[in-house]
Amino acid sequence: MDKQLEHSFVEQLEKHQNIVHKVCRLYTNNQEAHNDLFQEITIQLWKAYPKFRGDSKFSTWMYRVGLNTAITLYRKSKRSIKTQEFESIQFKIKSEEYDDTEEQQLKLLYKAVHQLNDIEKALVFLYLEDKNYSEISETLGITEVNARVKMNRVKTKLKTILNP
Amino acid sequence: MDELELLKKDWKKGEDNYPKLTYNEIYKMILKKSSSIVKWIFIISLLEFAFWTGISFLLKDNKNAKHFDELESDFLLIPFTILGYVVLAYFFYLFYRNYRRISVTDSAKVLMENILKTRRTVKQYVAFNLIFMIASAVIALYIEFSQNEDVISKVELASANGEAFTFYAKIIGLTIVTLGGAILVLLGFYWLIYGILLKRLNNNYRELKKLEV
Repeated sequence: MDKQLEHSFVEQLEKHQNIVHKVCRLYTNNQEAHNDLFQEITIQLWKAYPKFRGDSKFSTWMYRVGLNTAITLYRKSKRSIKTQEFESIQFKIKSEEYDDTEEQQLKLLYKAVHQLNDIEKALVFLYLEDKNYSEISETLGITEVNARVKMNRVKTKLKTILNP
Repeated sequence: MDELELLKKDWKKGEDNYPKLTYNEIYKMILKKSSSIVKWIFIISLLEFAFWTGISFLLKDNKNAKHFDELESDFLLIPFTILGYVVLAYFFYLFYRNYRRISVTDSAKVLMENILKTRRTVKQYVAFNLIFMIASAVIALYIEFSQNEDVISKVELASANGEAFTFYAKIIGLTIVTLGGAILVLLGFYWLIYGILLKRLNNNYRELKKLEV
């Protein structure tokens, strides 16, 4: 039975692992910290898996556990604090289709997002993942109105960081 | 274009660029041990319960306690000891109940609240012990002054010389300094451990609470 549970869990996580990678991308600054957080999220997902009832989608459930681990449970190791390392990993994703100004702007944007606090990052993450305000509010435990207000503030904050 | 829309466009394009872990790599990960703060809080809290229970045992077994046994102090010591155990059992039950409620599948806010609640229980237990320690010191002083022949004769000698006030002041002052020192060391230790462990959690919780106003 346990083997079966392990198998179905690993298989599903393998399929949806991008969600965890994306959380790590936002909350860590280098490869080692990325792997560290990925490991911890995987353990938390596995520990919670026996209670996963399948009444929500596996991926939806992953967002919640992933973010909770990143925001609350994960202890940042010292090595993840060195922000100067982050350029090397954060910008490895480059698109040839962008012109220089747009690419420059994107670099600045990712940098600005990294300057946001943990909760603001969670809002941005869920927004980038096309989650609606009702899902955002449920994941974070705030009201929908507050989620909207906060998101507007984050947008303004990003604008200010980009155009000081 | 809105900054976030631009970001979203790029975010979606990056889907294929993330590392792809294999089945075996993920399988190896689930066999490893977690190092989350909940685990640390649990270990530290157990150590705290053990520490305070240990201290009360140590105090009961030493020379001073035996010396108190010779004095007529049972009427106070027995209820105090029973109270100590009842309170320990009560706080431990609360702690364990709160700890079991911590679930990673709750919303971020509820998860944080439950972790902080667990901590609060242990903090209350420690506060109780500090108060207990101070009360014990006061009672010990009272018993010494009222029943210990040595002390009583010293007090009488001191009052005959007109130095009763200095005598009392010295003993009470010494007790306050010793207790104060012990409490400061303990508080410093707490500030260090929980300052490091819970700083981020507290900040994030405050940030979520701020949204409610």
